[in-house]
Amino acid sequence: MIKETIILVTGVGDYWGRRLALYLLDQPGLRVIGLDRQPPTEKVPGLDFVQADVRNPLLVELLRDEHIDVCYHLKFIPGDNGDELASEVNVQGTMNVVGACAEAQVNQIVLRSSTMVYGAHADNAAFLTESSPLRGGRQMTSIRDLVEIESFVATFRRQEAQIKLTILRFANIVGPTVNSPMTQLLTLPAPPVLLGFDPLLQFVHEDDVVGALVLSTNQGADGVYNVAAADPIPLSRALRLVGRRALPIFHPLAYRAAEWVSGPNTGSASWTPLPWDYLRYRWTGDLKRMQEVLTFAPRYSAAEALQEVAHHHRTRADRDGAGNLAQDEEQLRNTLRHRRSMKETRKDESDADAGEQT
Amino acid sequence: MTDANNNRCIAITTDGSRCQRRAQAETGYCHIHMPASMPTVDQVADASPTTAKSPEEAARQRTGPDAEIPIERDDAAEPAGESSWITLEEEELSQHELRRRLVQELNALARRLQRAYPDYEPPPFSIERIGTLLDGQAEKMPPGLRRSVLKRLRGFMNEDLFELETWKGVWFMVNYTVEYQGDMLKRRLKGDYVTDEWGMDWEFLELVRPFLDFLYKVYWRVETSGIEHLPDYDRALVVSNHGGPPPWDGLMLMTAVLNEHPAQRLVRNLHDEWVPTLPFLSAALVKVGQALASVENGTRLLNEDELVGAYPEGDQGVGKLFRNRYQLASFGRADFVRMALNTRAPIIPVAVVGAEETFFTFHRSRTLARLTGLPYFPLSLRFPWLGPAGLVPLPSKWYIDFGEPISTAEFGPDAAANLALVSQLSEQTRKIIQEMIDQRLSDRRSPYW
Repeated sequence: MIKETIILVTGVGDYWGRRLALYLLDQPGLRVIGLDRQPPTEKVPGLDFVQADVRNPLLVELLRDEHIDVCYHLKFIPGDNGDELASEVNVQGTMNVVGACAEAQVNQIVLRSSTMVYGAHADNAAFLTESSPLRGGRQMTSIRDLVEIESFVATFRRQEAQIKLTILRFANIVGPTVNSPMTQLLTLPAPPVLLGFDPLLQFVHEDDVVGALVLSTNQGADGVYNVAAADPIPLSRALRLVGRRALPIFHPLAYRAAEWVSGPNTGSASWTPLPWDYLRYRWTGDLKRMQEVLTFAPRYSAAEALQEVAHHHRTRADRDGAGNLAQDEEQLRNTLRHRRSMKETRKDESDADAGEQT
Repeated sequence: MTDANNNRCIAITTDGSRCQRRAQAETGYCHIHMPASMPTVDQVADASPTTAKSPEEAARQRTGPDAEIPIERDDAAEPAGESSWITLEEEELSQHELRRRLVQELNALARRLQRAYPDYEPPPFSIERIGTLLDGQAEKMPPGLRRSVLKRLRGFMNEDLFELETWKGVWFMVNYTVEYQGDMLKRRLKGDYVTDEWGMDWEFLELVRPFLDFLYKVYWRVETSGIEHLPDYDRALVVSNHGGPPPWDGLMLMTAVLNEHPAQRLVRNLHDEWVPTLPFLSAALVKVGQALASVENGTRLLNEDELVGAYPEGDQGVGKLFRNRYQLASFGRADFVRMALNTRAPIIPVAVVGAEETFFTFHRSRTLARLTGLPYFPLSLRFPWLGPAGLVPLPSKWYIDFGEPISTAEFGPDAAANLALVSQLSEQTRKIIQEMIDQRLSDRRSPYW
């Protein structure tokens, strides 16, 4: 019997952890252990759940005992500005997980980051390569946390050469179910934009995020990758595709108002989903490494992903009464399918064990 | 990004080979061969009924505007009384008859009006009034001049004006244009349009083309030379002097290549760092294919076999004082040479003469620049005293001269790191451009005509 790959997913209580765990549990030859402080609110059938904080110092023993091969560290709390706990979980937690993985000789760690770490600046190159300096952060706690994590991981990579450290920097994630800064912006009744500015933005569909995370371990790909659909789209066109009419604000007023509301140098992050600079300048990543080294081709183009967001928000409006019931039925059908497949694999395993004993 | 061949236009040209131009995203065609949604000039001409003309009319059109317009019986052009100047020939042609009757009717109308209202005078733009005016003037001219003036006038007063079919054609064209623009607007409001990965938007460029063409043909009366030095398909780096402010030379260089070059190539100009901070301008310039000036962007564009426009003087050049016009400022870090060496693209020196006389900067104010956050604050006779009106450029006469390409193919891949070579090539380019400017300055009559 081939040794099955044992995967640890942190943050299964949150959206991305649960999505990835659900996907991995469908794959053969994998054992998935989920770790979080709170169990997932929606059941993840077949998941081996361990209740612990990512900052727990005993994590290394768990990794050793379970012979973990790959660790997806997805625990990340977006958090509002000034949320100290979120920052601590994000940064301290990542340090703890990465350190424990190195000590327990885990093969590969995969981290989810964002192209927002490059920062939106007037002098950004049109296509930022992975080696570009990380100049994001002063406006938004979550970006600052990501930059902090990335910079210490870069130092760590130099010290511990044997462990594979994969960082995927995703562009604006959009899709029917995900809650990202960009979907928050696009689904506002009148998304605020800066008058006279129309930056090119990259998008990636939520399913492609899961796809890229899975592929990164299949390929054993080391290093940092920008991940996005190949077609950058101007902000104005993105809003048109989602069917929203923008609310343009003259930019000096917008910045002034942001400073007035949330203090200097915040760039509006607390009351608009994205800081103003990210709606003003270009911050698109270069996708050459994604295409050639990771060999990942997103299934959705940016336009398709945005159209799906539009479609979803149109249909959600009429999804009441009978519609709700249909959704419930669909959910149960999926759960049943999962449970049956899990039962079968368990039966297979016990058969195999019995075979070995005789 | 993807395989080079996949990015090419899939159209077959008249000589049977594949079109070499870059295809637009998702369509598979380049901007010239774009089907249906963007009809070509030929399609429009075929669809319009203006082509329904007499054979000799068509023949005359085919010979082009340079061909001599045949004038029969010049003697008949002698003015002989009221309104006879316009009925030059009393032939049996129905058009001429129609025209004569029209003039007669108009005259009768004018006479009737005059009888009804004794104070009435025909307006100065009526046919009769212009006719008498010209009559009076023509009689004072010597016969040779009169003949040539009448010949000119015949070219002006096209017979098509009196033909029903022409007006049908015009009506069709207006309808078609309104419908096409309406469709485009509807499509764009739904987000159904494409931009390339740099944000270039062909429909936007087509929208602003008439304005650029007006500046190019009418306002600055640009004359170009040496356009044949630009390659049809390959990469090349166009390096030019920079004048202003505001620097219109980049857009005019782009318009010149679009209008004059047989392959109608788009020059992807590289703009200064502070352009992205400006509202409207930043978005518009990106949509006409510009990008931020940096070695990365330039190298990438050249590797995509684009025609890249660089202005190494930068804001030093734009903000130069009027008395320093046409004296090239420093070429700075010579990043343009690095782009060319990285990609082995030839450097094509360009001299733009005229742009530096659209604005008289007599002083640069440091205090005002700091206060407004601009890289420089020019003071001129008109700006800032007249407000935005002071920024309207003066109608100088422009010349855009393209020079012989400077090859960089013989240098190795690491040549961009060779500082001595970089500065030498930069200096060489600068010298050539300065010589071309000086040549043009000594050849021209005046800055304004």
